[in-house]
Amino acid sequence: MAAGSNEPKSRYLQYLEIVTGSLEEKKRWRQYKARIKQLPENYRTAVEALERYLMHFGPADGTGAMAMYGDLADLFEQSAADGTPIRDIFGEDPVEFVETFMANYPLGQYRARERNRFTSAIARAAGENTARKDRTD
Amino acid sequence: MGKQMTEMLKGTLEGIVLAILSGRSAYGYEITAWLRDQGFTDIAEGTIYALLVRIEQRGLVDVEKVPSEKGPPRKVYSLNAQGREYLEEFWRTWSFLAERLEQLRKGGQ
Repeated sequence: MAAGSNEPKSRYLQYLEIVTGSLEEKKRWRQYKARIKQLPENYRTAVEALERYLMHFGPADGTGAMAMYGDLADLFEQSAADGTPIRDIFGEDPVEFVETFMANYPLGQYRARERNRFTSAIARAAGENTARKDRTD
Repeated sequence: MGKQMTEMLKGTLEGIVLAILSGRSAYGYEITAWLRDQGFTDIAEGTIYALLVRIEQRGLVDVEKVPSEKGPPRKVYSLNAQGREYLEEFWRTWSFLAERLEQLRKGGQ
């Protein structure tokens, strides 16, 4: 982590990030992309396919997502260094692996919202008294 | 290894990994290698890695980064006090389940 990243942000930076999104996250994303670029081609192809899946079903952004991509880069750098065959990393069912991996990180906004909505809809149908959380989320 | 085995392992692999780590600390690939030796041939390295990420996040293991000759530093995982507690609970749950299933097989209730 860069020195000084714990210092309070300047007001300028605070306003800027409202417009651009978190600059720290953008930096971590660029770092991740740079690491992936260094991988041998077949590992890179596999990671990019995984990345596409995660974009659809994983956490879209935020610190949790950046931690996830960091862990992903760790795994593939290690595997490339060891020469672990792609099939050994992913197993027979790549979806099984990606779902286990994804479960470690916060849900994407879309999935989280729909889960809340579903849970409270069932609670209402079951006649339980619940605040209508789905409307305010 | 059949589909049924994969399904059953889903719920127990975490406990298995913790049990391996209760004997000694290990690298991720040592855990996978051990499992393969024991006949769990279809387990993906990635799945073991995902489990190690999870048990690390939950604070069940201590992690030490050891420099390596080739590639990035390797993580060595060892079970800590919280992990031991969790493993004990896993074995209790397992015993309960195994007993009930055995009863079911014998046709009792």
